[in-house]
Amino acid sequence: MTHNMMDNQKDMFLPLTQSQLSLWAGQRMHPDVPLHNVVYTFEIFGAIDEVIFENAFQELIKQTDILRTVFTEREGIPYQSVKPRLDFNLEVVDFTKKTDESFVENWIYERTQRPIALQEQIFDTVLLKLDGGRYLWFLNIHHLVTDAASNAIVYRRMASLYAEALNSGTKEPEAQNLFQSYVRYEERQQNDSENEDYRNYWRTKTEEVVEKPKLYGKKASEASTAAERIVVNLGKERSSKLRALAKRPEIRGWTEDLTLFNMLSTLYFTFLYRVSGQKRLVIGAPAHNRVERDFQHTAGLFIEVLPLMIEIDESDTFNSLLQKVKIETNSYLRNARPGMAGMAKDRDINTVLNYINVDFPDFNDFPTKTEWVHNGHMDSTHDLRCHVYDFNGTGTLHLAMDLKASVFSDEKAIHVPEHFLNLLDAFLEDINLPVGKPEILTSEEKNTLLDVGMSLPQSQNAILEYFEAHASKRSNMVALQYGDEVLTYSALNKKANQLAHYLQHKGIQANNKVALHFYRSTDYLISVLAVMKTGAAFIPIASDQPAERIEFILANSGCSLLLTEKGLIYNLNWDADKVIELSGKKEEIDLEPSNDLDIVCGPENLAYILYTSGSTGRPKGVLIQHKALNNYLLWAKDAYAINEKSMFALFTSIGFDLTITSTFLPLISGGRIVIYKENTSGPDTAILKVLDDNLVNTVKLTPSHLALFSGRDLSTSYIKTIVVGGEDLKVTLAKAIKSSFPDGIKIYNEYGPTEATVGCIVAEYNVEKHIATSVPIGKPISNMQAYVLDGYKNLVPKGVIGELYLSGIGLADGYSDAPQMTEEKFVENTFSSNSKMYRTGDLVRMNDHGDFEYLGRTDDQIKLRGYRIELTDIEANLANYPKVENCAVVLVEDNKTIPEDEVVNCTKCGLPSNYPDTDFDANGVCHLCTAFESYKEKANRYFKNDEQLVRLLTSKRGQNPNYDCISLLSGGKDSTYVLARLINMGLKVLAFTMDNGYISDQAKANVERIVESLGVDHIYGETPHMNEIFVDSLQRHHNVCNGCFKTIYTLSTQIALEKQIPFIVTGLSRGQFFETRLTEELFWDDSLDTDKIDDTILEARKIYHQESDAVKKLLDTSMFDDDEVFDKVEFVDFYRFSDVSLEEMLVYLKDKAGWIRPTDTGRSTNCLINQVGIYVHKKELGYSNYSFPYSWDVRLGHKTRDESLEEINEVIDEVEVKRIMQEIGYDKSEEDWANNDKLVAYYTGDPDISVKDLKAFISEKLPSYMVPTVFKHLNEIPLTNNGKVDKKGLKNLNSIQLAMDTPYTAPRNEIEELLEGIWKEVLQLKKVGVHDDFIALGGHSLAAIRVTARINEEIEVNFPLNKVFELPTIEAYSNFIEETLTTLLKE
Amino acid sequence: MKEKIIAFIKNDITNESLEDIELQDDLLGTGVIDSMGMMKLLAFIEKEASFKIPPEDMTVENFMTLENILGYITKQNNAGLNDA
Repeated sequence: MTHNMMDNQKDMFLPLTQSQLSLWAGQRMHPDVPLHNVVYTFEIFGAIDEVIFENAFQELIKQTDILRTVFTEREGIPYQSVKPRLDFNLEVVDFTKKTDESFVENWIYERTQRPIALQEQIFDTVLLKLDGGRYLWFLNIHHLVTDAASNAIVYRRMASLYAEALNSGTKEPEAQNLFQSYVRYEERQQNDSENEDYRNYWRTKTEEVVEKPKLYGKKASEASTAAERIVVNLGKERSSKLRALAKRPEIRGWTEDLTLFNMLSTLYFTFLYRVSGQKRLVIGAPAHNRVERDFQHTAGLFIEVLPLMIEIDESDTFNSLLQKVKIETNSYLRNARPGMAGMAKDRDINTVLNYINVDFPDFNDFPTKTEWVHNGHMDSTHDLRCHVYDFNGTGTLHLAMDLKASVFSDEKAIHVPEHFLNLLDAFLEDINLPVGKPEILTSEEKNTLLDVGMSLPQSQNAILEYFEAHASKRSNMVALQYGDEVLTYSALNKKANQLAHYLQHKGIQANNKVALHFYRSTDYLISVLAVMKTGAAFIPIASDQPAERIEFILANSGCSLLLTEKGLIYNLNWDADKVIELSGKKEEIDLEPSNDLDIVCGPENLAYILYTSGSTGRPKGVLIQHKALNNYLLWAKDAYAINEKSMFALFTSIGFDLTITSTFLPLISGGRIVIYKENTSGPDTAILKVLDDNLVNTVKLTPSHLALFSGRDLSTSYIKTIVVGGEDLKVTLAKAIKSSFPDGIKIYNEYGPTEATVGCIVAEYNVEKHIATSVPIGKPISNMQAYVLDGYKNLVPKGVIGELYLSGIGLADGYSDAPQMTEEKFVENTFSSNSKMYRTGDLVRMNDHGDFEYLGRTDDQIKLRGYRIELTDIEANLANYPKVENCAVVLVEDNKTIPEDEVVNCTKCGLPSNYPDTDFDANGVCHLCTAFESYKEKANRYFKNDEQLVRLLTSKRGQNPNYDCISLLSGGKDSTYVLARLINMGLKVLAFTMDNGYISDQAKANVERIVESLGVDHIYGETPHMNEIFVDSLQRHHNVCNGCFKTIYTLSTQIALEKQIPFIVTGLSRGQFFETRLTEELFWDDSLDTDKIDDTILEARKIYHQESDAVKKLLDTSMFDDDEVFDKVEFVDFYRFSDVSLEEMLVYLKDKAGWIRPTDTGRSTNCLINQVGIYVHKKELGYSNYSFPYSWDVRLGHKTRDESLEEINEVIDEVEVKRIMQEIGYDKSEEDWANNDKLVAYYTGDPDISVKDLKAFISEKLPSYMVPTVFKHLNEIPLTNNGKVDKKGLKNLNSIQLAMDTPYTAPRNEIEELLEGIWKEVLQLKKVGVHDDFIALGGHSLAAIRVTARINEEIEVNFPLNKVFELPTIEAYSNFIEETLTTLLKE
Repeated sequence: MKEKIIAFIKNDITNESLEDIELQDDLLGTGVIDSMGMMKLLAFIEKEASFKIPPEDMTVENFMTLENILGYITKQNNAGLNDA
C-alpha cells in the first residue's frame, strides 16, 4: 500500500524486468520492424465529443505512468524512465466520406506499421471519424509497457475519464498505481530467498533439453519475424459445448477459465503432436503475474512466458491427456511468480498458447467493437502462437493463430486452424477418443493428396511385342554382349523362340512357372524371354542361393521346371526330371522351330515371381503380373529416355528386382545389354569392370555401388544415365558422383519395394534443389498412388511423417502361397474402392515441392549394401541350430555417426563435434576447453623456462665432453627451431635425423643446410623395417606418426647409450604434450607436484616401450628391458621449457636458421607419408588426427582457431596417398572403407558351440550376404525396460570387442561397474565386457594413466600404473581391488 | 487452523471485503477466490500445516469449501502420522 509513495522519490532510471528485457532484445535485433506494436482498435457506435476525448486522454496520460515511459540505453544496457509530463495533441482524422471499408482497413494497417520511437513516446493514438455515426479509436502501445490486461485497464480508465469529463467536468485525480512499483517488486522477487523453491522448480523443469517440434515437418526457424494471423470465431455452438464440458466433474478445475485453459492446452498439445509426430512437448504460456491486489489495477507489462511440458503416450485419449495437463498446469500455477522467467530457459519454446481472460466493455455505453490488430510480425523465436480471447464478451471464444511466414507458406497456413478445429470438434464429440485417431485433414486437402497422378495407356504385351518388333526391324543390331560373345536381335529372338518351343514340348503353358537358376549370362536372358514367350512366369534364382533355400522356393512357387546350367547343379531334393541343364540340351533345342509363338500375355498373367527375405525365416515370393511390369517399363523407357542407342550393363544379382530394369528396358527399346560375369566366390565387384571397360551409357545400381566410384577418374566415362535404387541416396554421394562425371550426367533416385514392381516413386537429382541429407525419392510414376498415413490409417497433413502405403497398377498380386501374410501387407484401400494398398513399412514425408522424402523404417528390415534383409529372417534360421536358445541379429554400423556436413566445431578451439564423446555447451564451447579453464593455472606450472633448460642440459656435462644432448632433427619447423635455439644457448648438440623413407628432398636439403650453417654434427638413422612399422601403426592407431615416433625414440636411445649422451631433446609441441603425455587427471591433485607428474609420465613411458607392437618385434628394444636406461638417458621436451608462437618461430627460422618451407610435402613440413596417416585416420574414424592436438595449440594460444581449421581441412592428394599405401603394403581399399556395417548375431545357449559350425549351418540356409560376419555368445540377451530385446545396446559393441574370443559379460558388482564406467570413458567405448582385454581395446600408456588416476581417485588407494597391463581385464583388476581393500581393512 | 485460514482469505486474497465465511460456502464457484488467490491459499496452508500439496491433490473437491479444505488437511496430517 505504501509502495507508490516510497518509490516515487527514488531515482527515475529503472532497469527492465525479465519480460521487458526479452522484448527489448527482440526489438533491438529487428529495429525497423513493428513486431512489438500492440494495436487495438475500438469501433464506437456513437458520437464522440472530440474535444472532451482529447482532454480525457491528456488526463489519462497524466494518470498512467506507462504512457509517459521512455527507454534509453547506456553502454548497451537499457533503462526505463518516466517523463513527468508529456505534451499531447490528439490527431483526429475525418473519414466520413470514405465509405469503402477497405480504405479504413488499409489506413489501420499502415499506421500499425509505424515504428515507435522508444526514447520519445511509447504510444501512438488517433481518433477516426467514420461514416454512419461511428468513431474508431486507434491505440498503439509498445509491448514493452503493456499486455492485454493492461490495455483493458487503460481502456477502462479512459472510458471512465471520458464519462466523468462529459458529465461533471474534472474530478480530483486518484493516486493511480504505478508500474514502477511492479518493476521494483519483480526485481525483489528475483532475489528473494523465499522464492528459492519456485526458482528450483523452473530451473529443473528446463534443465533437460526438449526438442522443438518440427511443425508439419518444418524445422524451427529463427530467421525472420514476418507472420500471418488467422482468426477463427469458434461460434456459439462450439463455445457452449466447451463450457458444458467444462462443468463435468472429471474435467473441471478451480475456475471455468482455468478449465477452459486446460482443455485448450490439451487440444493444442494434441495438435502439435499430430503435426510433428513429437511426443515430448513444451509450450510457452504467459502467466499474468498480477499477484497482489494493486497489480490488478496497474497498467504495464506483467506477463511472463513460462513453460508447460507434457509427454504424450500413443495410447493417450483426450481425457487421459487432459488429466496430465491438469496436473502440469497446477504445478505451473503454484510456481509462477514474477521474476521466474529468468530461471526457465526458453530455448526449447517455439510455440505459445495465450489464453487471454480480458474483456472491453462498451465505451460510454455506446456499443463498441474491440479488435486486436495484428502487426504482421511475431517474435523470431516462435513459429506458432495461439491466442484465445473474447474481448467483446459475446460468450463465443475467438482463436487467433499467428503463423511464422518462414515456416508456414500461405498454402499451409490456411489449413492450420482447420486442422485444429477438426481436433476440437472430435474432442467435443467424444473425449475418450485416442488422440491419434481423429482425422485432421479437410476433405479439400484429402482430395488434393489423393489426386491420382499421371496415367499412361496400357499396352497388353509390351515386352514381347516391342522386343519382337525390334527383332524384325533391327535384326542385325546387337542385343546382347557377353565378353566376346555377341547376339543380334534376330539371333536372340531365334534362340528364345527355340527354347520356348522346347519348353512347350515339355508341357509348359500359359500361367505355369519356370524357375531360372543361372549365373549372369546370355543363357539366362534367353531363358527369360523364352519362358515369357510361352505365357509362363519366370522365377529368377541367383547363383548365391543355398540349396535348401532353392528347394523351398521350388516347392512354394509350385513351379513346373527348373532351368539351370552345369556350374549350378546340386543334389536338390526335388524331382530330377523337372531340372533341365541347358547346355546339355543344346542340340535338342537347336532343332526346334525359331518362329515367334504369338502367345499373348494378358495383363493379369504372372510375369515373374521374385523371392525376398521373409521375416519368418522363409523367403517370400512376390507375384508380379504383366500389367505391373509393363507399367514400370513403359514409364521408365519414357522417363529415362531409353532408346536404341542405350547400352546397359548387366552386373547386379538376378535375384533382385533392381536387375529387372537392366534386363528388359534395353530389349524393349532396341538397345544393348553388356553382360558382366559374376565372381563365383567372394563379393561381386563387377561394377569396377563396368567402369574400366567403359562400354555402356546407362547403369542401374545401388548407392553402395556408387560409393565404389570414389577416387576413380570418370571424366571420360560414357555413362550418361545413372538410375539408383535399393537404398537411401545421400546428397553428398550424389553430388560427388555428379561432379566426377562429365556434364550432362543424369542421376535418378528410384524408390520401390519389390511388392510394387522395381520402382514406383522417382526423382531426378537436382544439385540446386536437393540440399538436405538425402535425395528425395520424388513423385509416383504413372498409374501409381502413394499415401502417407498415421497409425490409424489417416492421411497426414503435407509435411508430417507417416508410413508410406502404395496403390496402383504396379502392386504385386500378393505373396506366393502365403495368404495370411498377403492379407497383412496388402490391405483394403480406404481411399479408392475395389483396390488394395501395400503397407511398405517405410517412413516418409512430403516436402514443400511435393516430393516424397524417405526417413527410415518402422521395423527390423535393413538394407545392407543394397540387399533388403529382414533381421528376423536370419534370427529364425539361427534359432534352428541345436543348442542355440535365443538369438538377436543386429546391424552394427561401424563408423561415423555424424554425417560430414553436420559437423560443427568448438567456437573456441575448433574441435569437431564428431571427435568421440565431445560435448558442447550452449555457447558451442567443447568440454575440453571448459575443463581446461579449471586446471589451466596448474597446467601452466608444469611448463618451465629457458634457464631451467640450460641448467638441466648442462647438469651432466661430466659424462660426455663432446655432447650435452642429442637433438631430434626431423627437418620440419618445430625440430629445426629447437636445434637452432639449443645452439644459440651455447649447448653442444648432436643432431639425429631418422630417415623413414619419406623425408622429402627439400626437407633433406633443409637438414643439410641447417647442420652446416650451425656447424653441428649430424647422424642419419634408419631401419629396413620402416614399412612394416608404418602398417602396424596404421592398424593400431590409424596413423603413421605413432610408429615413426616410437622408432625414433628407440633408435636415438640406442645412440645415446652408445655415445653416453645423457639427454635427448624432442621437438614435441605443447599441443602434442596434451595428446601424448598430459591428461586432465594428472592435474586433479589439489597440491600440484610437477615431480609427481614427471614420475607418472616416466612410468607411462616405460610401459610404452614394453607394448608388443611392430617396433618391439622388429627393432632391438632390449635396452628398455632394464629400467636403468631411463636413468642413463633422459628425454627432454624442448617446448616444456620454451614457449613460442607459430609466428615467432617462423621468423626465427627464416632469420637465424635459414630454414625454407618445403613445397613438396603438403601439410607436413618434412614428411611425405604424414598425409597417408591423415587420410587413413579420416577415412576410418571420420575426423582428422590433428583435431585433438591442434585444439590444444589453440587452447594454449599457439595457433588461432582459423589457422587450425584451415590446416585440418586441407585437401589431401588421394592418388599419391594410395600409391604410398601400396608401397608400404597397407592394403585397404574403398570397399573396406565404404561400408563397414556388419551383421552381428548374438545367441544364448551352449557356450561351447563352435562358431565355425554355426556359420556353416547358416550358410546353408541363407545367401552369403545374409550370413552374419560375427557371432557372439552371451549369457543372456539384454532386454529393455519394456521386456524387448535391447537391440540398441547390442549395436553398441564395437568391432574389436566383437572380435574377441571371450564372451561378453556385463559387470556383475559395484567395483566392476565402476571400472566399466571408467574404461568406457577413457577408451571411448559404449560398452566394455569384464573379460575384454585392455590393450586389445586400444588401451595404451596414456590411457593407463587416465584409468589409474580415476580409479585411484574413486577408491582412494594408489594403484601403480602398470597394474592395468598386468591385470588387463575388468574382472582381474576388480578382484585385485577387492583383495587390496580387504587387506587394508585388516591392517 | 480454521480461523487462521478464514483470516488469511479475508485479508490477503479476496478482492472485496467479506463478511464471515461459512464452512459450506462455495469459495470458487462464487468467485470469492480466483485461481491466483487459490495459489496463495495453498502456499499459506503448506506453511502452516507443514506439508507439501502435490499437484494431483489440487482439485476442486479438496478445496471447494472451507469444510473440504479442513478435511483435506486432516487427511494429510493423519497420513503423515501413519508414515511415522
